Amino acid sequence: MSPVLLLNLAWQISTLALIALGLAIVFGKLRIMNMAHGEFVMIGAYAPVITSMLGLPGWLQLPVCLITVAFVAFVLERTIVRHLYGRMFDSLLATWGIAILLREIVELIFGRSYQSVSPPLSGTINVIGVDYPAYRIAVIIGIFLGFIGFSWWNTRSKMATRIKAMVGNPELAEAIGLNTARLSAGAFVFGCCTAGLAGLILAPTVRIEPMMGLDYLIRSFFALVVGGLGSLEGLGIGVSIIAGTQTFLGAVSSQTYGYLAVLTLSILFLWLKPNGIHSSSR
Amino acid sequence: MTLLLEIENLTGGYKDTNVLFDISVKIGAGSLLGVLGRNGVGKTTFARLVQGGIKASHGDIRLDGQPILNKSAHARRRMGVGYMPQTAMVFDDLTVLENLSLYPNKKSLDYYFDRFPRLAERLNQPAGTMSGGERKILSFVRTMIEDTKLIILDEPTEGVQPENINLMADCLRERVAEGAAVFLCEQNLNLLSEVSDWFLGLDSGRVIMTESADTTNRDDLNAVLSL
Repeated sequence: MSPVLLLNLAWQISTLALIALGLAIVFGKLRIMNMAHGEFVMIGAYAPVITSMLGLPGWLQLPVCLITVAFVAFVLERTIVRHLYGRMFDSLLATWGIAILLREIVELIFGRSYQSVSPPLSGTINVIGVDYPAYRIAVIIGIFLGFIGFSWWNTRSKMATRIKAMVGNPELAEAIGLNTARLSAGAFVFGCCTAGLAGLILAPTVRIEPMMGLDYLIRSFFALVVGGLGSLEGLGIGVSIIAGTQTFLGAVSSQTYGYLAVLTLSILFLWLKPNGIHSSSR
Repeated sequence: MTLLLEIENLTGGYKDTNVLFDISVKIGAGSLLGVLGRNGVGKTTFARLVQGGIKASHGDIRLDGQPILNKSAHARRRMGVGYMPQTAMVFDDLTVLENLSLYPNKKSLDYYFDRFPRLAERLNQPAGTMSGGERKILSFVRTMIEDTKLIILDEPTEGVQPENINLMADCLRERVAEGAAVFLCEQNLNLLSEVSDWFLGLDSGRVIMTESADTTNRDDLNAVLSL
């Protein structure tokens, strides 16, 4: 395998992992099949465009992204999503509607045309014998370190244990003093914010447009199907298989074959191993 | 004795169906009310109405003089209402230690581990993999260590070995001696007659007996259960 292909693989896996993490939290913890997850990626990607339109300095892209996504997610959670916890099919339909609404609103504000932004870090770095964009290397390392931090938080923090308690037994969680409504809202907003953050990170490398989120939603969903829900290990396995297959086949043949292989894999998993490779309730 | 919990004309149940009708009772701090009755008479509904898991359709509940009827379950817990449910009494996916340390506790865990050493041996085991009796003990200990002034226990001894029931009775007496009020829904007459200061008998969702332990004998209690 060529070094460039290897680095491309690391890039695809890390960015997909960040997107799928939010979907896994919202689906795994709250039993909400959030079909609007890709739209939060899209909103995050528009953050540099908003910052530029408002004439704000570049370092405000991250706060603008997180505040915008968190605000939209919070409003949706309070008004629609909170009534659908545990109702998977209803949540799927409702969030599909939300996705369409968000796309239309963004289209109204920014238009249908593609937008592009430049990366905050330019130039290349020589890694394993090849020159590779410094921005992508920084993102790969950042996401890797972020996942180590999240894994530590997930196994050690009281908050993560309380969320697990709420998911496993909401009535008892209330009885021991957990405000489950607030915890659920926090988990939903956090999941959407990781999608927004992924959008912000991807923005300099893709064409920004209102429909861009759909592809990310589908691939994240496939990653969860293959890897299984409920554990970071499952997420890592799923993301590696989906992003790996697509990147490898895209490089040696064409993107179409890459998508076809990913789709076939997902169908096979849904059929033969519906809980994925590494499903765990903990 | 300071009055802790006042329940007046409490009526409620599930959705539009009332199960409990016009219940009035008072519990003082440092006392234990034994609630007894056959299966299906409304003991669990009564416990959950007071704990806040289900909403009352009528009546009033005051804790330390404060109305709590419109408070959520988590708000009531923060006001000092502890609850051990009859079923789904532990967090199955969490370990024993995680079940016992979701919040800072009032009492030392070591104290309870001395009495129930099986818990100490299984600290890192998921609670869902324990036997029914062990899960009851885990839930009981979780309820005992919390910083609460009213403790509601729904059938805590179901499936628990007799020697452990005696230890549970000791723990209850201690919490009562410390000033807590205990609301114990139970069918185990031995335990009820050992620890209760008052008895409340239920049948078909209505109060059929309210008696002090001093004036009640075993036959009276048996009569309530055999109705």
